Amino acid sequence: MDPKKCRRYLTRTVLVLAIASLGASAEAQQSSAAVNPAAIKALNDMASYLRNLKAFQVESATTTDEVQDNGQLIQYTAKINFVVQMPNKLLATASSDRNERTFIYDGKTFTMFAQRAGYYATVPAPPTLRELDDALSEKYDIELPLADLFRFGSPDWKGADIKEATDIGPSEVSGITCEHYAFRQDDVDWQVWIQKGEYPLPRKLVITTTTEAARPQHTATYTWNLAPSYNEQSFTFVPPAGARKIVLAAVGEPQGGK
Amino acid sequence: MARAFCAPVAVALAALLCGPVTAEAQRRGGGGARTSVNRSGSADINRNANINRNTNINRNTNVNRNYNVNRSVDVDVDRGGWGGCCYHSGVGVAAAVATTAAVTAAVVGTRVQTLPSSCTTVMAGGVTYQQCGSVWYQPQFVGTGTTYVVVNAPY
Repeated sequence: MDPKKCRRYLTRTVLVLAIASLGASAEAQQSSAAVNPAAIKALNDMASYLRNLKAFQVESATTTDEVQDNGQLIQYTAKINFVVQMPNKLLATASSDRNERTFIYDGKTFTMFAQRAGYYATVPAPPTLRELDDALSEKYDIELPLADLFRFGSPDWKGADIKEATDIGPSEVSGITCEHYAFRQDDVDWQVWIQKGEYPLPRKLVITTTTEAARPQHTATYTWNLAPSYNEQSFTFVPPAGARKIVLAAVGEPQGGK
Repeated sequence: MARAFCAPVAVALAALLCGPVTAEAQRRGGGGARTSVNRSGSADINRNANINRNTNINRNTNVNRNYNVNRSVDVDVDRGGWGGCCYHSGVGVAAAVATTAAVTAAVVGTRVQTLPSSCTTVMAGGVTYQQCGSVWYQPQFVGTGTTYVVVNAPY
């Protein structure tokens, strides 16, 4: 989506935005002095903006720490590319040091494809991306990458859990001027860099898991394209020659023996 | 001799029977960075990947000089996550993964991460199998990881 179109969408949905941000503010705001209202407002504005995007492409480079038995942290990297048409189309590729996966969702079915092995599985899916994320997590123990992008500002997001909120100040991420905010809630400290100006997009996210002594971190940087090119076929999985359909095991399902 | 013969079987059985327990213990152990601030805390922590490796190598050479190697390696099926990609998952349904290096009886339901060499892909009844000698495996996605489950021959 180009910036002009984007502005049009924003103008058109200003009432919706206002109502949404009112609701979100009420949820997220805390009376504690440790909570800077400006930081909460920035987060709510970002959430509302994300919730009102109609389509986007985002590339993300992530790092995630794993804690070894001896307490040592090992960092893994992944690259993720998302093409999204809200509320119910997704084409995602994720490649890490360990594997490559393609995820395709068309509002009816969800397919996971493993390129190297040539395996894919298709399962029925709920009607929206937001529900898809929950369903995959609960039923198949699959966590969509970048899930926060769909969760900020959604009805059940965890904004209300924020215990501390701080505006750290201006900061540049990949040449983009951002404002850097830090938040604390149960189990995690986290930081987000939000683009300044009329497109309040998250440009970087750092999550520190505080329940682990080693305090492992997950980091993600985002490169946004608000005018992605795609067509309806983009969200339809066509098995490549030689690809084979396999089972996607449901959580708790008896293993093996079919 | 009895001991030499039984040990691999015992290990295989232990891997089979203790699998879910091991997986549970691993989940409680935590171990990875959370990749979302918006998921419910406990659920998310439980889903984070970790590496727990208990490698048991029992090497038994019996009097008939039949050499049995049995390796039982407990790992998360998918150690990554999006951190490690992917997505990390796999823990919730992960049973113990046995990497069977040799030829003790393949127990149906045993999961392995990698196949032995010389396997053939066979389609039967619309299902993908890997036939490796007399042992049949069914590839499955568990979380975002790929595992192979020993199954009965489809025909």
